[in-house]
Amino acid sequence: MITMYVPTSAPERTIGDVLLKVDDISLSFGGVKALSNVSFDIRQGEIRAIIGPNGAGKSSMLNCINGFYHPQQGTITYKGVVRRQMRPHEAAAQGIARTFQNIALFKGMSTLDNIMTGRLLKMKQNFFLQALHWGPAQKEEIEHREFVERIIDFLEIQSIRKVPVGRLPYGLQKRVELGRALAAEPTLLLLDEPMAGMNVEEKEDMCRFILDVNEEFGTTIALIEHDMGVVMDISDRVVVLDYGRKIADGTPDEVRNDQRVIDAYLGVQH
Amino acid sequence: MIYRETGQFKISYAADQAIFPIRQDLIGMLLILAVAFIGIPLLATDYFYLAILIPFLILSLAAIGLNLLTGYCGQLSLGTGAFMSVGAYAAYNLAIRVPDLNLLVIFLMAGGIAALVGVVFGLPSLRIKGFYLAVATLAAQFFIDWVFLRIKWFTNYTPSGSVSAPALDIFGYVFATPRQHYLFVLVIVVIMALVAKNLVRGRIGRAWMAVRDMDIAAEIIGIPLLRTKLLAFAVSSFYAGIAGALWAFVYLGSWEPYAFGIDRSFQILFMIIIGGLGSILGCFLGAFFISIVPILLNQVPAALGVPISTATASHLEYMIFGALIIFFLIVEPHGFARLWQIGKEKLRLWPFPH
Repeated sequence: MITMYVPTSAPERTIGDVLLKVDDISLSFGGVKALSNVSFDIRQGEIRAIIGPNGAGKSSMLNCINGFYHPQQGTITYKGVVRRQMRPHEAAAQGIARTFQNIALFKGMSTLDNIMTGRLLKMKQNFFLQALHWGPAQKEEIEHREFVERIIDFLEIQSIRKVPVGRLPYGLQKRVELGRALAAEPTLLLLDEPMAGMNVEEKEDMCRFILDVNEEFGTTIALIEHDMGVVMDISDRVVVLDYGRKIADGTPDEVRNDQRVIDAYLGVQH
Repeated sequence: MIYRETGQFKISYAADQAIFPIRQDLIGMLLILAVAFIGIPLLATDYFYLAILIPFLILSLAAIGLNLLTGYCGQLSLGTGAFMSVGAYAAYNLAIRVPDLNLLVIFLMAGGIAALVGVVFGLPSLRIKGFYLAVATLAAQFFIDWVFLRIKWFTNYTPSGSVSAPALDIFGYVFATPRQHYLFVLVIVVIMALVAKNLVRGRIGRAWMAVRDMDIAAEIIGIPLLRTKLLAFAVSSFYAGIAGALWAFVYLGSWEPYAFGIDRSFQILFMIIIGGLGSILGCFLGAFFISIVPILLNQVPAALGVPISTATASHLEYMIFGALIIFFLIVEPHGFARLWQIGKEKLRLWPFPH
């Protein structure tokens, strides 16, 4: 069990209203049911974990939330509005950012450029000013560079600013990917196994970043993670999926003692 | 010792984001420009202009166009020759049908028309990738070849299908000598290369590279794929179109559709492979190499007293290009530009080992 960094002073966190509500979602690929009748909500400002054994439908759930998959049934309500079917870039425009289970960085670009891509939606200067790199376009470029430099400071990756990300070790790549998601200033941040394959120190760093993002920027976070120690320590509420169905939902303590969750993880004789 | 950025501290992001953040690079580039604008016009012969410099510059421009599309945005295209011919014939038709238009306006419009055609043939890129997209652009190549060969309106019903460009007359000044042609092309190429560099180091270039490196992640970040790819096709074809218009008006003078056949497309693709995918400098290195090697093969053996026949020289040319392309694809997919980069890294430490 990892002993987590817990802030000693009472944090100024306020869990607000429901930010995103998933209602009765079903998703299938041909005959395979990835998700069946899943409902849960994510409240403003909380850290919400989605856990479950392999193949439980966790990543499919995130893919539905950010518009990559379109569930056949059910609705997703975001910021009080029922969402129609949308493309991922529309979800991004509404403030949903994410990282991936298998790192999805742009390998040929530097750390700086990768994080700068996270700012693309905020950059407005037109093609011709860009072509001249002049006046407003240059000013905009520098403003966003300043923002990105703050993220680089926050994640403590100053020294690899100009290194192509393909050359970085795995743990740092994960950190850069988090930086790219943060650069979009998301309202809702989806993290798909942010700590997979990391050693204890790297996990502790990543936990610290996640908690800091949540506390300092007030970002709502939904994360998938297999390390139960981490999940139980940092999340406010946990939803448990198994074979595409929700089997438990509640605080870490409630979930930990739920018989169905124990069965799902340990297996049970039928 | 010479090439080292020690002591060059940047105190603003603007300085850090300059095209040449290292002073030695900037000085080097200014020297090259000085040679190109002052040194060469003082020294070069007409042969040098016509056989080497003008084709080199125009093909560099076409290579920049293709590199924006293939090297930066990752969309493989075999239709560069076709987009060049669209530019050439658009400029020709504008020049003969609207005689009052300024030639610079004609060139810009020709580029614009090529860009529109490029967008149309770029539409399949949303659904197909890689080699399949290359085949789709190959269709553009053959279709456009066919259009200019068979639809006589485009060639103004000349019996042979060959057309001649009007004189290069801009604001009453006629560019007539090879030196004037060279300077005309040089100015256009320098400006357009600068614009290309600005595009790729800003928002648009990052969006292109994101699509190239991982299109799914790019879309999830919020980059609309279709619009980004089509913009790459448009800009790329604009460059190719202007290069085509220059090739026809300045270099060839009179031409027929074969001038922009599939060979031209391959030639330009080889330039960016050998020069360096995803590098503006690489376009020039590749174009220089591909346009200079045939001339060297003709001249050097003769100068050494072992003349080889033209046929042998052209066979040798194919063999050398073939071998080099295989070499670069295996050993250094980023071409001469990357070799240059590695050389610079080494120079920073030289003469110390590390």
